[in-house]
Amino acid sequence: MNHFEFKGSLKTVLLAGILIGVLCLGWTWMIDDHNHTRFWSNFLHNSVFFTGISFTAAFFIAVCITAYAGWHTIFKRVWEAISAFLMPGILLMAIIGLGVYFHWHHLYHWSDTAILDPSNTADFDKVLYGKSSFLNKNWYLGGTIIIVGLWIFFANKLRLLSVLEDNFEDSHFSTHRTMRKYAAIFLPIAGFSSAAIIWQWVMSVDSHWYSTLFAWYATASWFVSMIALTILILIYLKGKGYFHQVKRDHIHDLGKFLFAFSVFWTYLWFSQFMLIWYGNVGEETIYFKTRYDHYPVLFFANIFINFAIPFLVLMRNDAKYKFGSVGIVAIIVLLGHWMDFFLMLKPGIYETAMHAAPAGEAMGEHGHEVAHAAEHVSNFVSGFTMPGLLELGTFLGFLAFFLFVFFTFLSKAPLTPKNDPYLDESLHHHV
Amino acid sequence: MSKENKIIYGIYGDEEVLLSAVKEARERHYDIQDVYSPFPVHGLDPLLGLAESRLHIAGFVFGAIGTLTAFLGMTWIFTKDWPIIFGGKPYWSVPAFIPITFELTVLFASIGMVVSFYVVSGLGPGVKSKLLDRRLTDDKFCISFENSENSDYEEFFRSTGAEEVGVA
Repeated sequence: MNHFEFKGSLKTVLLAGILIGVLCLGWTWMIDDHNHTRFWSNFLHNSVFFTGISFTAAFFIAVCITAYAGWHTIFKRVWEAISAFLMPGILLMAIIGLGVYFHWHHLYHWSDTAILDPSNTADFDKVLYGKSSFLNKNWYLGGTIIIVGLWIFFANKLRLLSVLEDNFEDSHFSTHRTMRKYAAIFLPIAGFSSAAIIWQWVMSVDSHWYSTLFAWYATASWFVSMIALTILILIYLKGKGYFHQVKRDHIHDLGKFLFAFSVFWTYLWFSQFMLIWYGNVGEETIYFKTRYDHYPVLFFANIFINFAIPFLVLMRNDAKYKFGSVGIVAIIVLLGHWMDFFLMLKPGIYETAMHAAPAGEAMGEHGHEVAHAAEHVSNFVSGFTMPGLLELGTFLGFLAFFLFVFFTFLSKAPLTPKNDPYLDESLHHHV
Repeated sequence: MSKENKIIYGIYGDEEVLLSAVKEARERHYDIQDVYSPFPVHGLDPLLGLAESRLHIAGFVFGAIGTLTAFLGMTWIFTKDWPIIFGGKPYWSVPAFIPITFELTVLFASIGMVVSFYVVSGLGPGVKSKLLDRRLTDDKFCISFENSENSDYEEFFRSTGAEEVGVA
């Protein structure tokens, strides 16, 4: 079974999942405020999360090729198929970008043109005016298309060259050498561009605040989620009888990555937190003060779920071998990092919505709902201070969409590459 | 072969030959005294039937001791023994303790594991090396048995492809 066939009940289940997601998004739209803040923030949250996962898969393929790594070769088609989600991803993010452009939503405080006019002394915002050469609607849309477009170019190149290698035997491995060049060019581009894209997609929801560590922290979150998804997909496919050469040693290596990058994520999270806490500068601490005061459960659960659980469960050697323990930790950590992105995005978006509300007497009756919520900041606001059922449904929908694209691309090529120079090493991988 | 507790050993030039020889010895139920190799040979430990090393458990225990030492130590120092206000923070400022706690965890775990390893292996300063052959630290492998009068170890070494057989 070297060829995955995407059909039957799996397709039905995933289509049903997409339907749930669409229904949840539609329902969110109906009960939403005037700006449809909850709808758009859920859309942004999940689009960023899954586009980022596919980006880190492309990035990791390039890392492995450049590092002469061979352990992953027999399942590298999984990562190649994950990276294919960049193509729907650019569409999802372009919709957000068009939304910024045409003011369909008000997720980003900087997209408000009134505060950027120096003659308007009442509302003029000097900080955002200073940032407006980067944070503006043209670059948001253009930058998204240019940067994700570049990612798609390299991800497609690496995937197509890898598929081409299958029917192209060559003792000089010329296809692999070409891949190596593309991978090496992609690495620096990916490193810098991912930081820029995180600033504009995620960090700029807290538009006055910035942290130089933030981009790494968010990328680490994507990376851990990507490894967790890979583990779950491999366990599923093995259960279906595919990938019988993928042995516990490969899962062990993925388990080590899950463990190591969970610790790496924690390191970045803590580095960012401690320096801001110690420096005690109001403009910086506001980020954590908001989360500590109004999101205490998520704030501490974030550290516990994404650090303590993988750290303590996966510490022992044999826990990384067993599909059960690695799989359960992968599920927990995947949800945990989805929640981490929730915590990165929602407080800033909620703040922006609250600021927008009192100014808008003209916003009509719905504006008052948000304004009313603003008077009771510490109150529980489903969808903003805590993921509600609609958020979970939207997540399921996006996950199903992601897996649908993934399985479609996985079925397009043989599961195990034939002429990869590292295939033999991967088949005899032993730790 | 007159002295007691003599050791008979065969020297091999290739790890694959060594592995098949070890397998053969296990099948013949020979009591292998030791196997020497200049580098860790993949798959040798399970073939020899060695139990998993417990060194990492020692590492965890030492690390946990380091965590507690650092955290409780700083708690005592900064709240009871010599409270000083740093940067307007409370006396018991947990985030500031984390880096030092981490460092002492690593320090205790690493030093503890090295010392445990030396004690368990009987290594230490001034210990004389019991090396059977100098080449075992370079490119040769060897299996050693405790010799007895009526053994067929020599035949075993010849048949499994040993390059030399020696006694010590």
